[in-house]
Amino acid sequence: MTRPVGHSTTARTRPLMRPAAVWLLAPALAVVVLLFGGGLALGLVQGLGYLPAAGMSALTLEHFHRVLSDPDFFKSLAFTLYLALASTLVAVAISVAAALALNRLAGRSRLIQFIFQIPLTVPHLVIAVAVVFMLAPSGLLARGLHHLGLLPAGSGFPLLVNDPWGVGIMAAYVWKEVPFITLMVLAVLQASGAELLDVGRTLKAGRWQRFRHITLPIIFPSLGAAGLIVFAYMFGAFEIPYLLGQTYPMMLPVWAYKAYSDVDLLARPEGIAAGLVIAAVVAAAVALAQGLVQAARRRGAVL
Amino acid sequence: MKRALLGAAVAGAVLLPFLPLALWAFSQRWFYPQLLPEQWGLRAWRYVLGTAGPQMTEALVQSVLVAAAVAVLSVAGGIPAGRLLGLYHFRGKDLLSIVLMLPIIVPPLCVAMGLHLWLLRLEMTATFAGVVLVHLSACLPYAVFVMWGVFSNYNLDFEDQARSLGASALDVVGRVMLPLIFPGIVVAALFAFLLSWSQYLSTLIIGGGKIITLPILLFALMGSGDRPVAAAVSIVFVIPALAALAVSARYLGSRRVLGVW
Amino acid sequence: MGILQLDDLTIAYGAETVIRGLHLEVAEGELVSLLGPSGAGKTSVLKAVAGLLAPAGGDIRIDGRSVRGLPPEKRSAVMVFQKPLLFPFMNVAQNIGFGLRMLAVAPAEARERIRDIIALTRLTGLAGRRPHEISGGQQQRVALARALVLKPSILLLDEPLSSLDANLRQQMRELIQDIQAETRVSTLLVTHDQSEALMLSHRIGLLLDGRLRQVGTPHDLFHRPADRAVAEFFGGCNFLTGRLRGGLFDCELGSFPAPGVMANGHRLTATIRPEDILVGGDSGHPIPGRVRKTSFEGATTRLWVDCGAVQLVVLTPRSDLTPGQPIHLRLPAEKIRVFPPE
Repeated sequence: MTRPVGHSTTARTRPLMRPAAVWLLAPALAVVVLLFGGGLALGLVQGLGYLPAAGMSALTLEHFHRVLSDPDFFKSLAFTLYLALASTLVAVAISVAAALALNRLAGRSRLIQFIFQIPLTVPHLVIAVAVVFMLAPSGLLARGLHHLGLLPAGSGFPLLVNDPWGVGIMAAYVWKEVPFITLMVLAVLQASGAELLDVGRTLKAGRWQRFRHITLPIIFPSLGAAGLIVFAYMFGAFEIPYLLGQTYPMMLPVWAYKAYSDVDLLARPEGIAAGLVIAAVVAAAVALAQGLVQAARRRGAVL
Repeated sequence: MKRALLGAAVAGAVLLPFLPLALWAFSQRWFYPQLLPEQWGLRAWRYVLGTAGPQMTEALVQSVLVAAAVAVLSVAGGIPAGRLLGLYHFRGKDLLSIVLMLPIIVPPLCVAMGLHLWLLRLEMTATFAGVVLVHLSACLPYAVFVMWGVFSNYNLDFEDQARSLGASALDVVGRVMLPLIFPGIVVAALFAFLLSWSQYLSTLIIGGGKIITLPILLFALMGSGDRPVAAAVSIVFVIPALAALAVSARYLGSRRVLGVW
Repeated sequence: MGILQLDDLTIAYGAETVIRGLHLEVAEGELVSLLGPSGAGKTSVLKAVAGLLAPAGGDIRIDGRSVRGLPPEKRSAVMVFQKPLLFPFMNVAQNIGFGLRMLAVAPAEARERIRDIIALTRLTGLAGRRPHEISGGQQQRVALARALVLKPSILLLDEPLSSLDANLRQQMRELIQDIQAETRVSTLLVTHDQSEALMLSHRIGLLLDGRLRQVGTPHDLFHRPADRAVAEFFGGCNFLTGRLRGGLFDCELGSFPAPGVMANGHRLTATIRPEDILVGGDSGHPIPGRVRKTSFEGATTRLWVDCGAVQLVVLTPRSDLTPGQPIHLRLPAEKIRVFPPE
């Protein structure tokens, strides 16, 4: 979610005159600093070895070292990066097509836009369950193909959940995130797209030229930011990989939780350390996303 | 014509996952490779609403209470922050935007693992308050962004006009600002509610198995392999989300909330 | 090159017909204004010529060839919109060169043409700036340059000055005049501002209620309006009714010569512009009256004068007259315009 678009012509920010007004920020900032920041900081402290339950209180880099030299960790990291990246790219491609289609055909249809927002509110667990029901070897898709005579009973259906390529996970992620990206892109298209395209047409740009030289540059900042945010979200998500992923390699959030909740208390700092790596990757992506949007705004883009 | 096709494609893609849920929830016997249940029935619902009734009810109530508390607190903190961000510009605003977005995207897993220690010290683990706090860390910033959007379209001149007509500061807040931003408040509350409603891992870590919310119950049921029951619970779990969307769609239509996106 | 012919053009928005049966021509090198009140459908005429809107009927011919069915990118007409609509992600030079890039014009030639047009539109030094870094007036000039650099057969301008404030408008008017004189690009300009149309156009077409009421030079429309609606549009407000008798127009204020009007016995309407009525003097047939109200407007003063049953509005350089004062007015015969019968 990038900064909201101001639609009204009277929406103009005033310079902040009374510093006392910053107290308006106090509750929110307190929550972010104490709960979020505190949570991460305490995680760091534990990752550095502070584990009173096991009687450890000296800070050491030993746990981080152990995690970062664990080949399983790297396998998880690599798999998570691959899956998040692949899912993001698929979602972005579908979203651009959807946004263009919606802009042209259904720009003002509240019904279609409403339906399109449904996946945004559906909890991850529910879509994970639904994907299992659809794509498992005994799922609806397999039964459907068999019913159509394309598949003999009991065999031949490819493994789509708990599989090495993460197809089920990707399907769930794409279903959930395409509406988010599409709506972000659609907002930009509707704010400035139509008239600029007319300008392009009168200036002798053909259809593909208009897409490449006008539409793409206009949607790029929003698209890039939304893509980065979606990537970050997928990178850190737990429920969907837990239900739809395989046991090896696990996606990183699953790996982290498993380590954290392991009976062996010594595994806990490793889980936390992995969690901090996740937080770092996600934070980097978010910072990049915001940077992209803010840079575009400074260059005069309407976002 | 093309528009109808597009609408059908969108509706189809979006609603498709709900199909197996519905089919499983209302099936009595449905073995592979049958395309449709051999026998329809309400066994799953009888279990969910009857046998597991107390468990379900407890989880449902717990979820509602936690989410409601989180929503109220999120909106309370979100309104002033959103007002500041939506109406004024100042140095560091860009950085602040990033800082506020991090708790929403960084998985609650990372925060909960660390926070657990602190809450343990404060003896707040496995408590309602502890779970509310950990949810709040992600939900309040979300509410801030919604209110930021609302205030971006807010015309401060209304307040100035009210003051010039003799209204006190309190009057302005209660009689001018709150009514004007009311649709935004509803949307912010709904989104914060939804976010808390769907939390799983953070509730598990902080709740320590004592605070059972609906997603935790659902997870356990999925593990048991009883598909109809899992489907039924999923439906119960998703209905408030859809209801919240329907309500906020009514408000999102209003120009004042358009800034959310 | 650069001839536009609109033949029986009809444009509809859904069930509503906004333009019907429009006949208009723009000759080579000519600037024709389509003048009319806001919302009269004028912009839709431009869009139809540009190819952004499909007309419901009639034909559009550019350089003798019909362009109906031809998409905008293939037409030799370029439209400049009411808002500058510069591409926010390009600087001024890139914006101007956009069309040249679309037509794959060689970079060296493109650079030269861009340089020339920047000089012509007085944008020197701004080539590297971004749209949000330049003023509204400069943005409008960039939009103009962006269109002109393509050397179109027809230039279509949609209310080019309406988004500018008053003093900028005058500068821009002069710029358009200079550019048009220098490049001799055939231009169809659409506006609701009569002073703009009067100042810039070789010919004006007045559009009221979807129909063209009069086409002619600015002088024609102003001093020889075709009917009452046209006269009122240009601020005429003194309307006299009377009959033609023996070559003279007979009305409440007297008899005046009415050359060229052949319609004995009919009831006719005549008009005289406020600034053409003379105050004072005794030659000719002065009409007695009493000043009812005055309004000081700077260089002139507006008087509302009761002359018996008729009220005349007078615009005079004299500022010494007061309400209630009796005065004499003279209506020079050559300034009275008798409308032909409907």
